[in-house]
Amino acid sequence: MKNGLALLAGVFAILGLSWAGLLLTAQRQLGSLNQAKDPVDETLYPQPLAGIADEGRMVYQDLGCVSCHTQQVRREGYGADVGRKWGQRGSYARDYIREKTVFIGQTRLGPDLRNVGARLGDAAKPAEYEDWFYKLLYAPQSMAPGTNMPAYTFLFDVHPTAGRQPTDKALQLTGKYAAPTGYEIVPTARARELVAYLQSLKDTYDYPLEHNLNETAEKPKEGGH
Amino acid sequence: MTSTANNDRTEQMEIDASAKWPVLVFFGAALFWLLLGGALQLVAAIQLHTPEFLPQSAWFTYGRIAPAAQNALVYGWGMNAAFAFGLWLMARLSATTLRHGGWLFVAAKFWNIGIALGVLGILGGYSTSFALLEMPRFVTLILLAAYALIGAWGITTFSIRNTENVFASQWYLFGAAFWFPWLYSIAQVMLFRAPVRGVLQPVVNAWYVHGLYGLWFIPVALAAAYYLLPKILGKPIGNYYLAPLAFWWLAGTTAFAGGSRLIGAPVPVWIPTLGAVANFLLVVPVVIIALNLFGTLSGRYRALGGSVTLRFIFLSMLGFLFASLLNFALSMRGFAQIAQFTLLAGLRDWLILYACFSTAMFGAAYFMLPRLTEREWRSPALVKAHFAATVLGVLLLTAGLAYAGWQQGRMLNDASVAFNEITKSLIFWFTLQSVGLMLLLVGHLAFVINFVWIVSPFGSATTASAQIRNPPDLEIVKA
Repeated sequence: MKNGLALLAGVFAILGLSWAGLLLTAQRQLGSLNQAKDPVDETLYPQPLAGIADEGRMVYQDLGCVSCHTQQVRREGYGADVGRKWGQRGSYARDYIREKTVFIGQTRLGPDLRNVGARLGDAAKPAEYEDWFYKLLYAPQSMAPGTNMPAYTFLFDVHPTAGRQPTDKALQLTGKYAAPTGYEIVPTARARELVAYLQSLKDTYDYPLEHNLNETAEKPKEGGH
Repeated sequence: MTSTANNDRTEQMEIDASAKWPVLVFFGAALFWLLLGGALQLVAAIQLHTPEFLPQSAWFTYGRIAPAAQNALVYGWGMNAAFAFGLWLMARLSATTLRHGGWLFVAAKFWNIGIALGVLGILGGYSTSFALLEMPRFVTLILLAAYALIGAWGITTFSIRNTENVFASQWYLFGAAFWFPWLYSIAQVMLFRAPVRGVLQPVVNAWYVHGLYGLWFIPVALAAAYYLLPKILGKPIGNYYLAPLAFWWLAGTTAFAGGSRLIGAPVPVWIPTLGAVANFLLVVPVVIIALNLFGTLSGRYRALGGSVTLRFIFLSMLGFLFASLLNFALSMRGFAQIAQFTLLAGLRDWLILYACFSTAMFGAAYFMLPRLTEREWRSPALVKAHFAATVLGVLLLTAGLAYAGWQQGRMLNDASVAFNEITKSLIFWFTLQSVGLMLLLVGHLAFVINFVWIVSPFGSATTASAQIRNPPDLEIVKA
């Protein structure tokens, strides 16, 4: 090969083609994906994030939670995501259009969080599972023994109770995790935002269009036409 | 020695003299980041088995240290080392001096200030959380401006070449020099300036990450292998006529392979399928490159004992093969079902960055630095220690992470295994990972001591340039 210009042209063409072929085509296909209206209750899904949850999305981003947690449920039959109750169904592209930044992640050192807001909801009242998240963030071992999740103590204030009303959100931890006598552990604003975001993570609505597209085709009956 | 050989040697010395300071500055900066990034990487690895390691503050939380380490290693060590080596090799192969090198110091300063701000930004909580694009947005322009200068120098040196033929290493360097800024700018625009919506973001991110590894780090490593093997062995590249085919095929398929990182993800299925097909097609160039490189080495394996550069390049070639194999496996749906999201998937990128690229840069440095400084390596023992630590560390990490990743994937896919059981079973492997990284860090330290010795104005024995063994003449093969 001797010709510098041919080299330049080829090098440009390769990346240009891949950009147009992969990114622009995907953008044409998905760029205008919108909320879908449920035919029965006439509500638009996915519903936008509440303000405080959107703030929490930024806390999730700056603490690098995506380093260990994915937010994508693989469809039933491919991996054990549904079996692990990480979601009732595989994730659809439409689920993500409500988020400004999408963290589908690529490592599962921790469990998938796409439906973490729905998971605990089966068993407890919202206020109780909000508290569960605070305890997990402050002292992970107290809620999930054996985990290697780091403690996010810096998302909490520890202050003396003397001369003030007890805070209603103060953590009720026991044993070695309990606050020292005369002190209480209170979530900061950032902790509350993060927990609001985590609780907002639930794709419980199943879109009729995607549901049908993702359903495996029935095997034709023997002898049928 | 013939008079032509004498003239060639004088010309080479002139080129080396013009490249000396830019190369030393870039390489010095690279080594600084190699140590710092390696230390941060070790801290993150320790936190996986001892979560309470280091005070519990936001600055030291795993989610920030791990990406900070990765960015320091990729942009600090990897890019700086590639600049140092690439500029020098481009000048040598184009038979022209590196002109107005002063501008490169300006570029080096800006590039490294940009990385420092970026890494601090991640630790301080300004991460974007997009893989390999975590550095806060404000450093983008600094990095791009600095890169524009460096890339322009490489391309200009190429365009004023005094040679008729363009050698394989030059294609790879030239391609990489163009691809990186393009990949980086497009990713920045599509993710931050005019962000795309929803799952298009991970698609752009995967395209960038795959491009950075496959169209920057692998080409630079291959440029080193294609240059150093024939240079040291005094033997032309075996089956060289196939090399252009491998270059175009490798680049053309890698550019489309990014989607293979999204198997099972909530994206249209044609994206991962296209990626998988592109990865299957990669078999052809990988085989050709193996024929080229191992063909050159065949029958001369004894030479490995006599040259540390050759030993590192050999390691890099094995790293390339193994990374390609893993990349191929990870684009198969059945394999990905287990290995995706595990330590095994992370191993692919680490193999490219470390086992393939970094070892190639070490090999190149052992060849290049004595010629640039006209001195010998002060301590052969440290050279040996560096190589031994690298081999041991790479073997330990590759075998350990591959096995642990596979087990992790199997357990993740078995819903009856509780999640904390998986974590508990991985603790041993996390500890092993820390040991492996520590070994590599010891090797880096040995290398850095030797580097400081060879560049510092005192304390190192100067050798007459004639003492550097002249490589045997190559026969000219008409393409």
